[in-house]
Amino acid sequence: MLDVKDVVTAYGKIEALKGVSLSVEPGSITCLLGPNGAGKTTLMYTIAGILRPRRGSVRFGGDELVGQSADRVVNRGIALVPENRLVFPQMSVTENLAAGAYLRHDHGEIASDLEKLFARFPALKERRSQPAGTLSGGEQQMLAVARALMSRPKLLMMDEPSMGLAPLVVEEIFRIVGELNRDGITIFMVEQNAHMALKVAHKFFLMEQGKVTFAGAPGEVAQDEVIRRAYLGSAKAT
Amino acid sequence: MIVDIVQTLLNGLAAGAAYALLGVGFTMMFGVMRRLNLSYGATLMFGGYLGALLASRAGGALPDAALVLLAAAVTVAGATLAGLYVERLCFAPLRGRSGVAAMVSSFAVWMQIEEFSTWLLPLHTNPYPAPFNVASWQLGALTLRPEHLLTLLVAVLVAILLHRLLRASRFGLAVRTLSDSPAAAQAVGIDAGRTTLLAFLAASTVGGIGAWLVLVADQQVTPMFGMWSMAKGLIAMMLGGLGSIPGAVAGGLLLGVLEASGQALFGPQIRELIAWGALFLVLVLRPGGLFGRAAFDLDIAAHQRL
Repeated sequence: MLDVKDVVTAYGKIEALKGVSLSVEPGSITCLLGPNGAGKTTLMYTIAGILRPRRGSVRFGGDELVGQSADRVVNRGIALVPENRLVFPQMSVTENLAAGAYLRHDHGEIASDLEKLFARFPALKERRSQPAGTLSGGEQQMLAVARALMSRPKLLMMDEPSMGLAPLVVEEIFRIVGELNRDGITIFMVEQNAHMALKVAHKFFLMEQGKVTFAGAPGEVAQDEVIRRAYLGSAKAT
Repeated sequence: MIVDIVQTLLNGLAAGAAYALLGVGFTMMFGVMRRLNLSYGATLMFGGYLGALLASRAGGALPDAALVLLAAAVTVAGATLAGLYVERLCFAPLRGRSGVAAMVSSFAVWMQIEEFSTWLLPLHTNPYPAPFNVASWQLGALTLRPEHLLTLLVAVLVAILLHRLLRASRFGLAVRTLSDSPAAAQAVGIDAGRTTLLAFLAASTVGGIGAWLVLVADQQVTPMFGMWSMAKGLIAMMLGGLGSIPGAVAGGLLLGVLEASGQALFGPQIRELIAWGALFLVLVLRPGGLFGRAAFDLDIAAHQRL
């Protein structure tokens, strides 16, 4: 579904991605692990068309995305839930969701999608006219996910959805990720919480210093010595 | 006594309504770009100069009413056109890149536009066509100046239209998302380049209307107008809070009333001093301005600490 080949993205002279290749299978939950500064967010922004790669190719369902603007990428069916949630803090919850449907013109359908999302996220419905900046971290994450869903994506990219959230909220988010996947949405997520990711994801990639250094199924992840030490080791104590 | 207070308030609000429009234009540009446009005043001056140029070349040939309307159109269109030039030259090529470079280049273009304007009309003082022959009306003890009423009326009208544009249109939604969180705006598929350009043009138009109102009241335009209108816009914007449109409106009205009160109490020399004094006082006591985005963030932070 998504094929990333040899992508190089640079900030000035510094190459954040040094030839990244990976692929996401349709219908899967694919998880990208890696330390801070590995280039995971850069990769997400590059796929989303917000950053332009120096070279390489990003194909989505056969179409080349490199060189396409961010709005074209959203139109093709890819939605990004950005790192740190990035809701529109001064706009109301409903307006945030309306912004998620910015590129759609089917007003009747938008209204019914809004009601469906409010049913799925009742906390958002309660706070529909509140500025998004006044929501709790978990609610903001839900809002960011709901906003992305408003574009009716085929592929949902989530950049560290559990960052800075309480364990109960993290579980809730992973439950929703599983649900969305069962509804047919392919998920590509960056996640540091490997324990939670192991429960839902079908495929893992590890990125270090701008390169993919490991690819494997959950079973292989648990076997891999490096990943165990870096991502699973400490969790035994908790 | 009461009459004096009401009169001062009226004068202040009328001047403040024009400041509000100057501030709204400035703050809209900041909102979508997170950059100060130092050419802002110069683009407004350019518009004003085109109006004065029209009067000097074609003044005799046109009926007064036509001249006034044409001057208004030329001034607003000139400010918008100069805004287009500034956005394409200084801001579009550097979007998402160096903020300092964009600001310095907008300073260079400020000088460029100012030089060009004074080349068009080299005199220091240039008459600007004004719509009213009556000097003022007496309403009991109150003096009503027709240009004050015009300013209040036009400013309210522009504010309502702008509010509708930003709250109830697709373009408005795009502008607000971009002001609120540029990265998230792009993530939901908003074309940042196009939205910035259109918002910049809308802001230049609003500023141009504000400038026209000031020039009509002054009945003249000088090479100082660029600097002056930028100062008023800047203070109105900062009093209200960077990036907030309601803030800029409140800031402009507040500035007008403060200036008028200062002038009534201490004489005209104190007017500018009061304006800058108020700016520093607000920045020290409430750095985010009275209503701005920064103020909003501070409130959130305070809420989280509790």
